[in-house]
Amino acid sequence: MHKKQSRDIFLFILGGVVLFFLSGMVDELRVYQGATIAIYVIAISSIILLTGYSGQVSLGHGALMAVGAYAAAVTRIEFKLPIILCFVVAVLLAAIGGALLGAAAARLSGPYLAGTTLALAIGLPSLANQFTVLGGEQGLLFDVGFPPLSLGEEFTQYKWFFWIAGLAALISMWIIKNILGSRYGRTWRAIRGNEVAAQLSGINIARSKILAFTISAGIAGLAGALLSMTIGTVSPSAFPLALSFSLLAGAVLSGLTTLGGAMIGAVVLVAIPEIADVVAHRVGSSERVTTNLPGFLVSALLILTVLFVPNGPVEQHRARKAKHLALKK
Amino acid sequence: MKAMNRRKLIKVSAVLAAVSLAVTAVPAQAAVGVSSREIKLGMTLPMTGTASLGYNKIPGAAKAYFDYLNKNGGINGRKVKLIVKDDRYVPTEAVAKTNELILKDKVMALLAPLGTANVKAVAASVNPARRGVPVLFINTGFSGFAEKKKYPTTYTVLPSYVMEAKIMGEYIKDNFAGKKIGLLYQDDDFGTDALAGFKTAGVNFAVKVAYASGSQGAAAAAGWITKFKAAEADVVILFGVSSATSAMLGVAAQLKYAPQWMLGSVGGDATTIKLTGVPAGVLYNAIGFSPVPATTDMKDEYVKFFSDIYAKAVPGSTFDLNVLLGMNTAFMTAQALQAAGRNPTRKSLMAAIDSKGASFANSALVPAGYSKTSHVGLTGYWVGKYSPTGDLSPIGGTYVTYTTDSGSGAVVKSTYVRPAMPAKGLPN
Repeated sequence: MHKKQSRDIFLFILGGVVLFFLSGMVDELRVYQGATIAIYVIAISSIILLTGYSGQVSLGHGALMAVGAYAAAVTRIEFKLPIILCFVVAVLLAAIGGALLGAAAARLSGPYLAGTTLALAIGLPSLANQFTVLGGEQGLLFDVGFPPLSLGEEFTQYKWFFWIAGLAALISMWIIKNILGSRYGRTWRAIRGNEVAAQLSGINIARSKILAFTISAGIAGLAGALLSMTIGTVSPSAFPLALSFSLLAGAVLSGLTTLGGAMIGAVVLVAIPEIADVVAHRVGSSERVTTNLPGFLVSALLILTVLFVPNGPVEQHRARKAKHLALKK
Repeated sequence: MKAMNRRKLIKVSAVLAAVSLAVTAVPAQAAVGVSSREIKLGMTLPMTGTASLGYNKIPGAAKAYFDYLNKNGGINGRKVKLIVKDDRYVPTEAVAKTNELILKDKVMALLAPLGTANVKAVAASVNPARRGVPVLFINTGFSGFAEKKKYPTTYTVLPSYVMEAKIMGEYIKDNFAGKKIGLLYQDDDFGTDALAGFKTAGVNFAVKVAYASGSQGAAAAAGWITKFKAAEADVVILFGVSSATSAMLGVAAQLKYAPQWMLGSVGGDATTIKLTGVPAGVLYNAIGFSPVPATTDMKDEYVKFFSDIYAKAVPGSTFDLNVLLGMNTAFMTAQALQAAGRNPTRKSLMAAIDSKGASFANSALVPAGYSKTSHVGLTGYWVGKYSPTGDLSPIGGTYVTYTTDSGSGAVVKSTYVRPAMPAKGLPN
């Protein structure tokens, strides 16, 4: 176990180094997309933790992201705290929101839980319109400042965003991986497998579920704060219902039970619109086709995934490998 | 000696090579988005989703004019290519798509982006100002974008909400003195702009009703009507989005509540109101405001010209306010490109608008305020009444236009004489 852990640390650091060099080799657009991918990785892994491990469905993660984003922006504007502290506040406030939601969610399951979180996704972001401190429909500016001068004059704002988001993604993946491998992760899996059996084994179901919601919400809050960092503003319209849905789609594409797959979902969500654009222009189709193609492609991929690789590509690959090995033996 | 000569030769050829490199490097530094054959422009706006209603006709309208222009020689032989991307009215998407337009498609300028939150997010994240990318003729009336220091490469075109409120206030003073006035407004910067304008105009309201964006619907409208009835308002101003106007007018028609309606231009487009399922008849007799001529006024040379081109380009599609504004924007852009010189650059394009923008031919009946110190577009409105089919036409048959600014300047009747349409509708 010890050996595995130090190997994991090494892999995460190696990942960081690779990303670091990669950011210097690609153009600005790719760096921006890389930052978006890193943010989606964080958001999707928060759903994987919640849905894949603790077995609770959330259609409202976009709203929790909004909580994190507003928390970070308001902290930055009102208290002028360093950016890292703004992210900490984002995580804490979103986690508190998640704990409250989790307390309600622990009493609900299936479609009722889905319905509750859906209502949150629709209602919560537009609450911002009610309070002037939150800037209404046009939102607030969220300025993390220019990259440090020591990085050089050529260092772009997007590369700075990418570094922040990439580091945040690596750290949060590291934390989630450890939580999932810990007693809590095992408890959640037990609940997901069979609630009655888990209860008989002495697991406090409600408390475990609330904890899962709290942690997942905190991570989603971080993703929200990072997302608003990349667009420089926070506004209700940046967290539409479609965001919650596409994150869930990303999680399904990644494989709900494989944390490592979060990368696949994130890349797909960012790449699909661009692929659709290229396809549409090559075929030379009408505007209506071009604008609706990304949505169509994601939906089609989702259906195909559910049909052919319901546990996600990574899990499927692992299962096939295990089967192969068993046959060999 | 021979060796010496060789050394000299090497030196001379090195200098020559350096000079020729420097010379050839000049065309390589040619303006971004401009090649010998085309000029690339980019546009992001909602093409899908609920916010796309009506607005998704703007790109088709702009393209219809650019196609006409390209068929007739383009801009100094270059064709204008408009790349359109769907932002679904989501700021995150607007930023992502604008990044693609600037960094991948390498457009020369951004054209007519829509929505205050989106334009703000793009300004903060993509920062076209730092990149020197012109953002031409934005589709929002928020007065803040005219702040040249904050948005040095952004040009507004629609008159601001402050201007509109001030002009409404002036009209009320002239025509409804002593009457009780009610106001419905959106509880955000859109409404704040309006309140600022009404305050400058000195309008005293008997009742003010605010609604939060997204809360407008039939149930809410019934509540609003109760408040306006209780205050016995004679004139009710609806300064909101189309969905608020249509909810209000639809419910009022059912309840037989009929004060004198006065509609802000944002929520007063009949085509968009019809798309929400309310018959256009509810607009009948309401007072409305517009900077461009009535879309049904075929005696107007611009309207006639634009509607002819549009009918050929997009057969079967109604020629409405969004189409007219979209084509007008393309028309002004073409003149700006033409005025930017034989080899236009981003800088020369902006300089052209600064120096000549105020005299560009365009359909608007009010003056534009472009100058070296101002990026403010149109500065006024004419007042009209809606027909039973929802078409706005001038009261008394002639356009009476008012002009003002977004500050404390007075509202005056405009004496502006619109430039005549250039030959064949092409920039000269």
